[in-house]
Amino acid sequence: MAFLALALLQSSNPIGDALNNTEWAFPLAECFHIVFFGIAIGTIMIVNLRLLGLAFPRRTPAQLAQDTWVWTLVGLVIAVLAGMALFISDPRMYSYNQGFRFKITVFVLAVIYHYTVHAKVVSSNSSRAISAVVGVISVALWVSVVAGGIFIAFV
Amino acid sequence: MSLYSVFESLQSIGPLADIRESALVYPVILATHLVCIGLFGGMILMTDLRLLGLGMGDLTISEVVNGLRWPKRIGLVVIVICGLLLFSSEALKYEPNPYFWTKMTLLVLATIHYFVFRNSVYNNTEELDKSPVIPTRVKTAAILSMVIWVSIPVCGRLIAYYEPDKQKAPQTATVR
Repeated sequence: MAFLALALLQSSNPIGDALNNTEWAFPLAECFHIVFFGIAIGTIMIVNLRLLGLAFPRRTPAQLAQDTWVWTLVGLVIAVLAGMALFISDPRMYSYNQGFRFKITVFVLAVIYHYTVHAKVVSSNSSRAISAVVGVISVALWVSVVAGGIFIAFV
Repeated sequence: MSLYSVFESLQSIGPLADIRESALVYPVILATHLVCIGLFGGMILMTDLRLLGLGMGDLTISEVVNGLRWPKRIGLVVIVICGLLLFSSEALKYEPNPYFWTKMTLLVLATIHYFVFRNSVYNNTEELDKSPVIPTRVKTAAILSMVIWVSIPVCGRLIAYYEPDKQKAPQTATVR
């Protein structure tokens, strides 16, 4: 079933065709992907700086999350939409690429973690140790997502 | 001595040639370059959005500018070091690439931007916090910063799409 869906998607889809048949569409989608994952991860990092005790000592992590979550969401949504457009240009290649599979697995984990564990610790008055551990795991997950993306071209 | 021969000597330096020929080191440096763009690049845009009054409005301008100053500096240093290694290991490939030179020009503009607005905006945040409206020069600084810092990774990405042979071919084929 999944294989059939993949074969159909590969053979013809309007977005994939547009990306493959114009010279500028694929790099344009890549640029949107990069700028908006920058905004998504950059805003998550602002909260992580506080969790790690490295910046914003006069604010709580909850206050920083309250002030950045909209831009995190905007960044994630546009980065994902642009990413889906890139994927659909060559679904078969990406589906079998080990770098891509790693990236998507870690990305799903990172998003789940961000909206559950991370959000929970950010909104409660957790100890410094727990906050730091939760921040470090968040950094590690997002680093892995971006690094996985680069390795799509090298594996 | 032409730029070409300087670049040729540069990329033939032992460790730099090793980077070019390594199947692992090159992608690891590239990944570090992009990971740090991911971790720290967005902080530049969030600072700009705060200066424009479009984001992080619960924090004062001072808090955002001062809180993100050192993370952004550290990120920039790592990104620039990785970028220099990527460039110098394949300098001859970059030499004819117009997107590379556009990116370098934009980095010079970013440096000029920093010195032009340093005293009136980035080191003047306590005054700005007292002001009831955000002054035009601050918004100008933020918009220029966003344009420059978005264009830099865009040009970086486009470097990979330049094909010298393909670009030259139509010029010889077309009669003007």
